[in-house]
Amino acid sequence: MSDFVEQCRREWRRLGVPDRLAEEMAADLASDLKEAEAEGVSAEELLGSSVFDPSSFAASWAGERGIIPVPPNRRKARRRPLVLAAFTGLAAITLIIAALLLLTGEPKVSLVASRAARPHFQAAPVPPTVIPPNGQVHASAAAPVEWILLFLAIVALGFAAWLWSSWGRSRPPVAPAQ
Amino acid sequence: MALGSQRRTELLRGVLDLCLLAVMEEGPAYGYEMTKRLRDRGLAIVGEGSIYPLLGRLERDGLVETYRAASNGGPPRKYYRPSSAGRLALALGVSEWRVARDAVDAVLAPVKVEVAS
Repeated sequence: MSDFVEQCRREWRRLGVPDRLAEEMAADLASDLKEAEAEGVSAEELLGSSVFDPSSFAASWAGERGIIPVPPNRRKARRRPLVLAAFTGLAAITLIIAALLLLTGEPKVSLVASRAARPHFQAAPVPPTVIPPNGQVHASAAAPVEWILLFLAIVALGFAAWLWSSWGRSRPPVAPAQ
Repeated sequence: MALGSQRRTELLRGVLDLCLLAVMEEGPAYGYEMTKRLRDRGLAIVGEGSIYPLLGRLERDGLVETYRAASNGGPPRKYYRPSSAGRLALALGVSEWRVARDAVDAVLAPVKVEVAS
C-alpha cells in the first residue's frame, strides 16, 4: 500500500499542495493503511473504490480540505465543453448558411405565394399560412427550408447559450490555497 | 456494482458526515478509528465511499477540531472531534434525518413485496 500513498504524494505535488500538508496527509493515510492491514482489513474496506484511483482520491481529499479547487469529475468536465462547443458551432454554421441562402441569390423557398403582378423573389419569405385565398400559389413538395433552418438555428443557439451559462454556474469556485 | 450496494452507497453518502460527527462525539478519533466505529455498527464503507475527503470538508467548514497525539504505541495521529458548530450541525442533521426516515418509513413500511430467494 506504500505504492498507493506514493501515488497520492505525487498527485499532491503535481497539484501544488504545500509539502507540509501533503506530508501530513500521506503520513495519516500510511498509518491508517498499516493499522488496517495489521488487523486484516483490506485497503478497499478503508478507502472504497478510491483504492483503484489514487490520483482522484488525492485530488478529492485536497480539494475538499480547501487546499486546491475541488476537482470536478475530470472526464466529464473535459467532455462537456467539447460537446457544447460542437453543438454551438453546428448551430452557428446552420444559422450562417440559412442567412446566406435567404440573403443571396434566387429564392429557394419552394412554397411561394404571390399575386400575378408580384415579382417572384418578393414572395419568397411569405409562409404558407398567409397565402391569400385568391392568390396564385407556386407550390412544390418541399418546405421553406431556409426559414426552417434559420428558426432551428436560432432555437439551437439559444439552447446552447443556456447550456453554457448553466455549465458556468455549475463549475466549482476556486478555493483559496491554505 | 450491484444495485443494492449502489443504493446503499447513495443513501450513505447523504448522511456519512452525520455518522462521522456522531462517532467523533463519542470520543476523539483518527481516520481509521472512525472507520472501525462505523463498521462495528454494521456501516461498512462501500462503493465510492471514503471518509478522508469528507473529513477534509468537515475540517474546512469548521465543523471539526483537530489535534495531533500519539496513538496506542503507534505514530502520532490526527484526531478529530466535533467543534461547537459541528455539534449544532449534528443535532440539526439528526433531526432532519429522523423526519426523512419517518416519512420514508410511512411510505415503505406497508410494502409487503418479498424477493424470492
